[in-house]
Parts: sequence; C-alpha cells; structure tokens
Amino acid sequence: MRYNEKELRALSRQPAEMAAEMGMRGPKKGSGERGSRPCLAQPLGALLLERCRVVPEEPGGFSISFLEDPERKYRFECCSQEQCKEWIEALRQASYEYMRRSLIFYRNEIKKMTGKDPLEQFGISEEARFKLNSLPRNGRTACIGSQLDTLD
Amino acid sequence: MKLNKRSVAHYALSNSPADQTGFLRTWGGPGTPPTPSGTGRRCWFVLKGNLLFSFESRESQAPLSLVVLEGCTVELAEAPVPEEFAFAIRFDAPGVRPHLLAADGQAAQEAWVKALSRASFGYMRLVVRELESQLQDARQSLALHRCASQKASASCRKPQAPDCWTPGSENGHLFPRDCSPISSVEERVSRPTGRDLVEFQGPASLLLNRGQSPVSPETSCFSTLHDWYGQEISELKRRWQQRAGESQSGFKQQDRP
Repeated sequence: MRYNEKELRALSRQPAEMAAEMGMRGPKKGSGERGSRPCLAQPLGALLLERCRVVPEEPGGFSISFLEDPERKYRFECCSQEQCKEWIEALRQASYEYMRRSLIFYRNEIKKMTGKDPLEQFGISEEARFKLNSLPRNGRTACIGSQLDTLD
Repeated sequence: MKLNKRSVAHYALSNSPADQTGFLRTWGGPGTPPTPSGTGRRCWFVLKGNLLFSFESRESQAPLSLVVLEGCTVELAEAPVPEEFAFAIRFDAPGVRPHLLAADGQAAQEAWVKALSRASFGYMRLVVRELESQLQDARQSLALHRCASQKASASCRKPQAPDCWTPGSENGHLFPRDCSPISSVEERVSRPTGRDLVEFQGPASLLLNRGQSPVSPETSCFSTLHDWYGQEISELKRRWQQRAGESQSGFKQQDRP
C-alpha cells in the first residue's frame, strides 16, 4: 500500500497533542529504538491509531496493539506512572472512532434537552457518519479500543 | 519512515463504516502515473474517518494507496485535460504535489469535496468541543430554571450537580476509565434507583423516567451521577427514619447507599 511519506512527515511537524521521548519496542524481535525528539530528527515511524488497544504494561509502560492481532504489541517505556497514565488516556481518545462516538453522544444529548439538532448549524446534520446507526453493528468491534480496559 | 501498514490495511477492509465511497479518476498522485490518454486511472475510493484509501476495484483485497487527510485543503480544480468534475487535495508541505481526482458527475464531485474537506480529525474535534460546551450551557440553564421554579416548594432541594460541572477532569473525557461507551451510560441513567423513590417530591423524581436525564449532571461521569442520585437517597433515608421516630443526631449526611 503506497502512502505519501512527505505528507506524514509534514503532519509530524504540526503542533503535537503530546510529545515525549520514550523507549519503544516494536512487535518484531530486536527492533528496539528510542523515539525521536519532536523538534530534531525526522520521525522514525508512525502508528495510525484506529481499532487499537492501549493497555498498561508492567513495569512502568504501556503497549499498543491492533484488532487483527492483539498479541502483536508495540511496547513503550515511560519514565513515570504519571506519564504513563497521561499517554494511555490521550491515546485511547485519539482515534477517529472515539471522536465520532463523542460527537454522536453529544448530538443526542443536546437533541433530548433542547429539541434541536446542533449539527444543523454546521450543515452536517444529514451526514451518514454522524447518525447513530453509523456505529459498527458488531458489538465487539464497537467496544474495542474504549472498553478493552474493563475486560482486563 | 515506518508505518503500521498491515493494521491500516486491515482497517481499510474491515466492516468499519465508510463515510464516502465511489469511483474516481486519479492523476499524478504518488505512484500513479497519468495514463497516455490523460483520462486518469479509475480506482475505487473509500473514505473512512480521515483516511482515504484507493483500490484497484471494489473487490480488491488490499488498498493501492492511502492519503491521511490532516493539514490539507480540498478545492475544485482544473484537470490537466479539460476534465469536468475534478478536485484536488492540497497539502501545505514542501515538495508535496496535490492529489488530483475527478468524479463522474457534479453531484458526486460536490459530495466528495464536502466529505473530504470535513474528514480531518481536527475538524471533528472542533465540532465535538463546540457540542460539549453547548451541552454544558443547556444543562446549566435547565438546572437554573428548575431551581428557580421550585424555590417555593417546601421539599425543594437544590441539586448539588452544578459543583460537579465545573471544568475538571471530566471535561474532554467523555468516557472515564471506569465507564463504558454510550449504550452502557444510558443504561446506568435509566436504571431504577428504587420503587420507593417515586414518593419523593423533589427534582429527582422527574429523573426516574426511563432513559431521560434532563437535569442530571454529566452523564458521562458515572461517579458524579452516582453521588448525585445518592443525595436523594440519603434524604429519603432521613425522612423514613424521622417518620419512624428515630433520633437524627447520629445520622450521617455522608451516607451513601
């Protein structure tokens, strides 16, 4: 699958949600490397976070794995429990699916309370992606990424 | 630069909802040389969230390419050949050529331009933040209204909820760690807190209708909701004990069921 590396590098230079230097180990053996400092080198890599699972890992770190292969983990080492918690929280909310669910939730709450559809002012009230039934029907996949922590 | 291509390709092919799909002709994008006749290469495009995938055909088992739609603008464009219904995805980055695409008709062109220009995570986040603050405003004004209208009532109990609404750890956290997504939150809200509570003539009784929570605090934060309902239950307990003639001196207001 081709992708435009220059575009992703440009994206990496945009203001970051969070930035930190952390030890990282990819799923393949011997692929340990240090995450690059944000203002210096080119990014070593990118992880697109859809359908991923972020869980704490002992000691003092966390891992990201993806729906299609939950045992294949990208491991990260944090320098403190605080940093670990912050990153786990931020990463869990970083998916587009999470944003979409939040939007649908707020839309419905506001509709219930005020009787008005708040998306009308944006001109996006008819878009299929913001309808309640646009969420994946498969209960399992709908929960992955936000609920896996409760399964642990 | 490495990318988790396998996971991304899996996502592209999964049953996750696609926001826009259709055939588009493409030119000069990375790895897609213009065909000799200049009419472009016809591919099946799938937009999921902020990811635009192209496939050889609808049945393809692997995406041809991916464009991450962040930090870009989408505009109508003039194709290399006088081509109708063309548009371009333009990135503000050095050395990055715009992706040129063309639809089969005007309706499709407009639909794609609209969908692509609103596809970014950044756009979604703006909308979510706006809705978040609208919901807060709506709740606050509704609660104030109810308070004002019930001040005359002897059983009036001003909800403690406004204290829980001040910006804090719940803001921006739709689903705190111990909460589950939407369906479970609504289940919790509508779970009956006890048959006997219907006799309480305070604001809480209005909340016991299943599925409605017009004046409850942030339904997104279960612990806040729990505390808030807990206050009503504490009040009821107090009244029952009063009626039973028990002394109130030892009763702790902090008791939670």
